[in-house]
This record gives sequence, C-alpha cells and structure tokens, in this order.
Amino acid sequence: MPPELKQKLRTPIATMLVLLGLLSVNVILGIYFIHGWAWIPEVLITVTMILTVLLVAMEALHEPPLTRLFAFIGFCWVSILLTLTMMDYLTR
Amino acid sequence: MSTTTVGIKLEEQFESEQQQRETAKLGMWTFLATELLLFSGMFISALVIRTLHPDSVTAVALHLKFWIGATNTAVLILSSFCMSVAIESSRLGLQRIMVRAMLLTAALGVLFMCLKGYEYYRDYVEHMTPFLHWRRYELVGDPASRLFTDLYFIITGLHAIHLTIGIGLMLVMSWLASRAGFLQKHQNRIEIVGLYWHFIDLIWMIVFPTLYLLNR
Amino acid sequence: MTPSDYVLRDLEVPPPVIDVPDDYLHADQSLWSWFVTTDHKRIGILYLVSITGFFILGSIAAGLVRLSLVVPDGEIFTNDVYNRLFTLHGVIMVWFFLVPSIPNTLGNFLLPLMIGAKDLAFPRLNLLSWYIFMGASLFTVFVMVWGGVDTGWTFYTPLSTQYSNGWVLAAVFGVIMVGFSSILTGLNFVVTTHKLRAPGMTWFRLPLFVWGNYATSLILVLATPVLTIAMILLFVERAFGLAIFDPDHGGDPVLFQHLFWFYSHPVVYVMVLPGMGVMSELVTAFAYKKIFGYKFIAFSSLGIAAIGFFVWGHHMFYNGESPYAGLTFSLMSFIVAVPSAIKVYNWAATIYKGEIRLDTPMLYAMGWIGLFVIGGVTGLMLASTALDGHVHDTYFVVAHFHYIMVGATVVAFLGGIHFWWPKITGRMYSEPWGRVSALLMFIGFNMTFLPQYVLGYLGMPRRYHVYPPAFQPLNVLSSAGAVVLAAAYIFPMVYLIYSLWYGERAGPNPWEAKGLEWTVPSPPPKHNFETIPTVDFEPYDYPNVIPEA
Repeated sequence: MPPELKQKLRTPIATMLVLLGLLSVNVILGIYFIHGWAWIPEVLITVTMILTVLLVAMEALHEPPLTRLFAFIGFCWVSILLTLTMMDYLTR
Repeated sequence: MSTTTVGIKLEEQFESEQQQRETAKLGMWTFLATELLLFSGMFISALVIRTLHPDSVTAVALHLKFWIGATNTAVLILSSFCMSVAIESSRLGLQRIMVRAMLLTAALGVLFMCLKGYEYYRDYVEHMTPFLHWRRYELVGDPASRLFTDLYFIITGLHAIHLTIGIGLMLVMSWLASRAGFLQKHQNRIEIVGLYWHFIDLIWMIVFPTLYLLNR
Repeated sequence: MTPSDYVLRDLEVPPPVIDVPDDYLHADQSLWSWFVTTDHKRIGILYLVSITGFFILGSIAAGLVRLSLVVPDGEIFTNDVYNRLFTLHGVIMVWFFLVPSIPNTLGNFLLPLMIGAKDLAFPRLNLLSWYIFMGASLFTVFVMVWGGVDTGWTFYTPLSTQYSNGWVLAAVFGVIMVGFSSILTGLNFVVTTHKLRAPGMTWFRLPLFVWGNYATSLILVLATPVLTIAMILLFVERAFGLAIFDPDHGGDPVLFQHLFWFYSHPVVYVMVLPGMGVMSELVTAFAYKKIFGYKFIAFSSLGIAAIGFFVWGHHMFYNGESPYAGLTFSLMSFIVAVPSAIKVYNWAATIYKGEIRLDTPMLYAMGWIGLFVIGGVTGLMLASTALDGHVHDTYFVVAHFHYIMVGATVVAFLGGIHFWWPKITGRMYSEPWGRVSALLMFIGFNMTFLPQYVLGYLGMPRRYHVYPPAFQPLNVLSSAGAVVLAAAYIFPMVYLIYSLWYGERAGPNPWEAKGLEWTVPSPPPKHNFETIPTVDFEPYDYPNVIPEA
C-alpha cells in the first residue's frame, strides 16, 4: 500500500473504530438495560453515529456551506414532519 | 499513477471542472435529502404505532433477531470503511486498489443481504409473518402487534431494495472503473456513488435502533 | 465568347444563400431527434404537448361531472361511474397537469435562459424525468379509464385499502412513479439555480419567476418522497395485507392522512408559486415599470414554501385530529396567507401609475389577481376551525381550491404561455382572439365556481351527485359556466396552433420586456447564448420609476 494512501486512511479508520465502539455501547445498553430510561442514551448515541457518518464519512465538513445547508434542511424537514405529527398523537 | 492524471471530462453546460464537480455533488446530496424524507415517513409511522400500542410493540421487538440486526450494523460500518478506501485511492489515482475496495464493499453488502435473508427465514420459522394468511401468527392474541411486525418487514424490505441497488451500482461502477483512463475522465463518479453507499449505511443506523433497540 | 467563358462566369456566381434558421426548433427536424433530445427547450415543449393532452382528458371528465350535476337525482350516471369520473378528473388534473404545468413547461424552457446558462445542470436527467412522467401518467390514465378508480384523488384509507373495488393498486403505482419524475425535475432546477447562474447574475438579479420556480422545486424535493412512502404503505397494505393503517388491528387511518397531506398541502404551493412567478413577469412588462418590493416578493416565495409545510393538518380538523393540533395548524394556516398577501400588494403597487398596456397576457394577469384574492380569502375562512366545521367537505371547499388551482395556476399558465409564445415559437398569435379568450376565462370561471361557494355554504356536500332539488338552479348555472370556460380553453388551442404557421414573425422582444431571455433571438438558438453573458444590470430595469408615495 502506497504511503500517501496510508496517510489518507487515518480518518476512515478512526471513523470506523468510533462507529463500532458506539454500536457496541448501544448493543450493551440494549441487552442489559431493558425498559426504563435507557432509550435516552441510546438515542443520543444513535444521533452521534449519524452525525459521524454525515460529517466525517460523507465529508460534509469539507463540503461547501451550501451542501451542509442542504443536509441540514433535510433533517429539519424530518423534524417538521415528526413534531407536527406527534403533536397530534400526543394530545389526542 | 500520479495525482495529476485524475480528473473529469467537462460537459458542455459547465464552464469549469470545479463547477461540474460541485454541481454533481449538490445533486447527489439533494437526492439523498429526498431519500431521508422517504425513510422518515416510515420511522414516524413506527413512532406513532409505538405511541398507540406500546406493549404490543415491545412484544414484537422481543421477537426480532437483535443479534442479527447488530451484526448487520457492524457489517455496514465495515463496508462504509471500504468505500472510503475506494474514494481515497481514486483521488490518488490508485486504480487497482480502488477497484478491489469497491468489490469488497459490494461483497460486504451481499453478506448483509445474506444475514437479512437468514433473519427473514427465522421470522418465517418462528411464525412472525402475520401477512401470510396460511401461517399461524405467533402473537395472534395481540392484533395490534401486527402493525409493528408488518412495518418491520416494510422498513427492512425497502432498505434491502436500496442496498441491492447499491450493490448493483457498485459492481457496475467497479467494472467501468477498471478500464484504463476512467479516473482521468470520471473520477467524481466514485465519490457520488460513495455518498449513496454511506447514506444507506446511515439509514440502517436509524433503522437498527428504531426497530430492534428502542423497543426492548 | 467561347463556351468555356460561360462556364467560368457561372462558376463565379456565389452559391445562393438559403436562409436556414439555426434555432432549436429547426436544428434537427426529425421526430426521433425530439425523443432523444436533451435540450431543455425541447423537453419543455414535450411537456407542454403532453400536459395539454392530459388537461383535455381531465377537462372532459370534469365536463361529465358537471353534466351529471345538472339534474338533482343523479340519473345520468350510476354512482360508480360518477365516483370514477371525479377521481379521474382529480388524479389527472393534480398529478398530470397542475404539478408539472408551469415548472415543467415554462420553467424548463425559461430557467436556463433567464439565468444565462446553456442548459440545465443535468440534461439527461431532465429527459429521463419526461419519460418517467409519460410512462407513469399514460399507465395511470389507462388504468383509470379502463378499470376505474373510485377513491377520489386522495386515496384515503381504509376505503382505498379495503372497500374500493377499482384498480387502486395500479393507479397508486402510477402515482408513485410520477412522483419520481417530480423529484428529478425539482432536483434539477434546484441545482441549476444554485450552480449555473451566469457571471454577475446574483440572487437579487434573478427574475422573480426563477425565485418562484426555485421555491417550487424545493417543495417538490422535500415533499414528494413523503407522498411516495404514504403510497407505498397503502400499496403493500392493499396488495400483501401488510397492515399499517388498518383499523381492524388498531391502526390509525389518520396517520395516512398525515403523511398524505404533508405532501399534498405543500403541493398546492407547487401549483401556485410558479404562477406567482409568472405574475411578477407579466405585471412589470405590461405596466412597463420596475417591480415594487423585489426582495419582499422573492423572500415571500421562500416563506410560502417553508410555512406551507406547517399547515397540512387543516385538512383533518374534523377527521379525529386532536383539537390542540387543530389549533396550531389553524394558526399556521393564517400565517401562510401573509406572504401571499404581500405579493398581491406588491403587484398592485407595481401596476399603480404604470404605463399599462392591456395586451392578452396582462388581461390574464389582472384576472389572476381577482381570482386569487377570492380564493385566498375564502381559504382564510376555511382555516378557522369553527367555520370549517360548517363548510368542510362541502362545495365551499371545492370552490375554494378551484379558485386557487384553476384561478391561479391555469390562468397564470395561460398568461405565461401567451407572454412567452413569441419567444418559444417565434410567432405572434391573434391579439383580438387572445383578449376575448382571457375575458371569457374570467367570466366563465366565476360563473362556474361562484355558485359553488353558495351551494357549499348552504350545505351541499362534495362527491355526491344526488342532491335536494332546491340546489338545482345554482348547479345549472355552474354547469353553464363550465361551457363558457370550455370555450375559453378551446379558443387558445386553436389560434395558438394556427399561429405556428400563419402567425406574424415575432422579433426577439415583441413586448419590449426586460430579462436575459428577451436578449436572444426568437426562437432561441440551440445553446441559448453564443457566449455566456455577463450580467451587469438590475432586474426589471424598466425606464418608469416607482412614484413617490
């Protein structure tokens, strides 16, 4: 493997390790902490994993601001759909 | 090969290589935003069903194959890493490494599908297929549980369709990209396909907790 | 003189110059070249031809519906046929005419011309979008005519999943497919507007049509996938028994409505925003004046696109939605009216003290303002939960949304076609006939739909063809109006097509309008601009200044 590629692969390797680590935390939570408040750390970890993929693996950090804006808008619209739909179901 | 040989061929509606690159990437990101909203419709359905029938959802979640789901997440994380290797080597003009990394990515995708297939088979054996009217349904006393079981099949099914498309793309691209001169003309296509692959990975990272994890 | 001298002399005569026009229409005239074209102008025309066809079909269905409503006892068609007719009308008009109407025809044609680009960002994707559109729409129309679908265009569950005996699955499949076409077009426009603007073409130098089109495309990209998933869930529930909304198993049909209206309400703005864009072009060109409040109009387009996503629940006030959600959606629905009102005020201010020329496009524009205001104000009435309790699911709603969809979208579409027709074809149409049609449109439209407000307020429910005899006079008036309206559609089809061969040749700028598209010859050359222009002028720099207040 050429050295310049080795150099470039540091970030992907780190990303992979971080993701696998977060996944195993989530799995442990899923096995040993059933019910209760486990969903809060589980959701937080999931959000961290999503952000890691989005920003590092998909390189949103190095994209022009416009691209980041579009990714952001995508999630904003998901939250509109989520909030307003749940507003109905939680107040029935 | 040195880095100077990597590039893209300019199409007539563009003025510069950078403009063409950024346009293609923006197009892909916009497309992925639509994909996100497509899947979010199902995630919200899952949340609504959970709000309406929390106990039935838990009953179903305990029947899902948690370990296969977790393993599959790890498989996709590995495949994403392979994709990153392919993208980085395409930028350096390392065609052979790139093609191998892409083939490995596709192979991991196939592994995911095999595990998924086995999971469906286990669901069938354990009578967790309520839509098959000739099979007894395990949770037949709990009609509301059907909703979440059905949604599980729809979400994973739609994800599997996307992954199959991804595997197909990966195979076609690695075939095209193994030709001489590909990286001089179409280097950015690797990055575009890579974005799609990472995104399928990202969707699965939402699917796994939504179906398997949060409801236990 | 020797014979060889003759030969020599003949040779010296320069070959006769044949005046072969070099524009996009004449670049290659074979039929095949149209089917494989990636030229945005030609694809715009392909869309124009196809959506006109669908419009005719949808209008025929509407005409039959109106015919049935002339008599109160519903004798003309059976209940089943009537249900299928209004479903046919709704599905065709919404997905195969209104959604693609202005963006895919005028938008396709004008966007690159207006921003100074040679084509869209993804020309092949543009053509693919047309093929998907044609495949899906022809399939769906065939299914609905041959087999019939009786669910209404809304496909509400559980009617569509359990009770309907029509060809629902095939129609739903067609609607899913046509959604992909919308997504691809929207994506193409968004990226083009961002990345392909000519040097110097800053955001605030863009024509307001481009702003409207951009806001529309954002909605298409963000809303359509949710319709796709709603339809997929419906499809698998009906086809494979994968129950999601099924009330027998504790599922909630209102969830389908949430997903459906998350698309289908914003899509109303898909229909109206490009029309608003056309309006901004028309009022400035025919008042011969700079637009009043450029930035307000531009940002109100984005405002409508964004706020339009917060209002969908007003379709479900009385369908089991919680009253708290109803209140919120009601409030948001009132708020979304603000940017629309801003636009109307700005156009009125633009026309004020302008050098007004009442040519055909301007007549359409004037009619547009009137119809849109009526449609918008009755929308506010429907947005209040209390009043909606009285008029929901009545002809009041039908009249309201026809004022928006026909009054705003179709009138703007016709106005835009008349405005850019010389640019698209290089020919002028008959101006007197144009004015007559614009007037007929206004009269016929009001005659058809004003009585429906009254009918709805008096309590006539929509989607029934049997009604109390007391409602007959108003229904007959409405149906008579539909005949006038039909004439207003047929006239332009005739004289516009006639003008293709016999119309006067139009110069590059017959209206003396401003904007990059009027700087190129009519019809434009194949690649729009010989060299990409550098923009150093402000939009709508008409000589007349805005008078001091």
